[in-house]
Amino acid sequence: MTTAVKPKAMIQDNTRCIGCRACMVACKSWNNRPADHTDFFAGPGYQNPRDLDANNYTLITFNEIVTGARPDWVFGRQLCMHCEHPACASACPTTALSKTALCPVVFNKNRCIGCRACMQACPFLIPKYDYENRAPLIHKCTFCADRVEAGLKPACATVCPTSAISFGDRDEMVAEAKRRIASAPGTYISYIYGLEEVGGTNVLHLSSVPFEQIGYVTGLPKTPMPDLTHRWLRVTPHFFALLYAVFAALTWITHRRSRKHEDGAKTS
Amino acid sequence: MNWRIRLTWWDWVLLTIMAIAFVLAVVRYAGGIGTVANINNAYPWGWWVGYGIMTMIAVGGVGFTITLLVEVFGVHRYHAFLRPAVLMALLCYSGAIIMLMVELGRPWMVWMILVSWAPTAALYEVGWCAFLYLSVLAFEFAQVPLEQLGWGRVLSITRVVYMPLMLLGVTLSHLHQSSLGTLMTLIPHKINVLWWSEQLPLLYLFSAMMAGPAMAILEYLAAARWLGFEPRMEMVAGLARIEAWLVALFLVFKLGDLVSRGATDAMLSGTWFALSFWVEVGFGLLLPLVLLIMPEVRHSRGGLAVASALIVAGVLLHRLNVTVIGLRVRHWETYVPSLGEIGITLGITAGAMFVFGALIRILPIHEELSPATERHAAAPAGALRRAPGVS
Repeated sequence: MTTAVKPKAMIQDNTRCIGCRACMVACKSWNNRPADHTDFFAGPGYQNPRDLDANNYTLITFNEIVTGARPDWVFGRQLCMHCEHPACASACPTTALSKTALCPVVFNKNRCIGCRACMQACPFLIPKYDYENRAPLIHKCTFCADRVEAGLKPACATVCPTSAISFGDRDEMVAEAKRRIASAPGTYISYIYGLEEVGGTNVLHLSSVPFEQIGYVTGLPKTPMPDLTHRWLRVTPHFFALLYAVFAALTWITHRRSRKHEDGAKTS
Repeated sequence: MNWRIRLTWWDWVLLTIMAIAFVLAVVRYAGGIGTVANINNAYPWGWWVGYGIMTMIAVGGVGFTITLLVEVFGVHRYHAFLRPAVLMALLCYSGAIIMLMVELGRPWMVWMILVSWAPTAALYEVGWCAFLYLSVLAFEFAQVPLEQLGWGRVLSITRVVYMPLMLLGVTLSHLHQSSLGTLMTLIPHKINVLWWSEQLPLLYLFSAMMAGPAMAILEYLAAARWLGFEPRMEMVAGLARIEAWLVALFLVFKLGDLVSRGATDAMLSGTWFALSFWVEVGFGLLLPLVLLIMPEVRHSRGGLAVASALIVAGVLLHRLNVTVIGLRVRHWETYVPSLGEIGITLGITAGAMFVFGALIRILPIHEELSPATERHAAAPAGALRRAPGVS
């Protein structure tokens, strides 16, 4: 007997994060990303590097926020949200990006033409490019699709020393996130980031402070992003047939008139 | 047909720009996009897409607009605009394809679009339509050299399929001109409220239709000056009248869209966005509209050239406002086009102008310069060809 494939999800519980960046190291290790030379930048605290790039698929952000009496670090994490209705995949003209049944949004490098429509489309600014490469590719978190396919956790989830990253079926993860918020209302703000954003995502974030304070993209619609283009693109074939018919009819009428005009000119 | 042309000083200027762009392109292919371009992870498109593709395609709209007017609506008194319009469109689309080959990260994989099934992607539709339309344009224009070479049998075959293919070209243009706007509807959170609209597909389509006659007038007047023929000002003034209507209707549609979306506050705010918006609307729509309404301007070569150039520049600024100027991602990342990016696009534009300039001196593109051709008082079907019996 086969059971239906249940979509997976991760919880990123920022209240448990201690900023050790073991997830970043595990991610680099599993995805074969080279280490890069980085410098501190004129930004918040010890965050490094500044942003995701072709070599960094996940990033712990260091945010200095006054909580109570003193400034404190509040950590956030950037990684692909693995949307239920991914804008990147909907924008890809060659289906190089696609959503798998288990939930990861995966990249097939053999189909990519390098148009970067996915980068433009992503509301979370996740896909990155290696512009210095002569044969560049899109880079983003894979949800360790190969591991998940084999029944393992994503690499980041295996190394977190404080269990800030949980992995399981999405419905269980949603229930778990709600349970944590309900059990410790002082610790968490009552919001699951990713539960409804752009139609729901497969990475759910919890936080002690509002998400806009720790650099998350907020104010996103609750409806899937691909709906915006779909409403136009789905009528395209009908539009094509209708326009062609109208133009053909018009051409026939106008040319008939000019033919008659010519005949009239000849006989007169 | 004489294939020899004497290169003038402006041919050499264009060739120089092309040579510089060629060197830049070699650097780009040798070291990757990053060696010549400022596009980055936050702004992955920039000037290459805003100008090199979006504006080139919009300006190439001259092909379907004039074809629609002459062949479909049957307004044959504008027939003199048809051949130049088709050639301009062919060169603009070819230019956009060359731009794409520079701009894509893996241009050798571009055929993948044609073997994919991605109906949810606006770019997929744009890719297919532009590919098919470019083929139609090449077919339409091929009639001119074929006629000159006297390949009667090939010509008679092409004339049988001219009508359905011409209609296909006009229809495909409506689809991909609007789909370029559909592409940008996906990112409401990145584009300033002054330019993001659910109606972007229609705004793109109508502005391309508006750019068409402006380009046709501009080219006709420029050709008259440089090739030394007397422009038929009554005909040009007639097209300018149509253009005034197109600008007025587009203006009403654009402002109506802004008001209905509640973007009036942003229009009146003291931001750089508002400034760019008013430059676009003021110099690209309002001023040319006022100019075109005046009969003296419609009958003046200089006045018409200014008004038409303003309209084309306004469409360019609109595409840039949507794709570059009005697009903001993160406060600490910025994008300003590099000289390398601009140089390559200038080279492609110069190339299109050079080929155009060469062909209008070799082939009978302008009726005024080919006295053997009877004037098409009422042009026959397949009006791209000359009057029957001439070939």
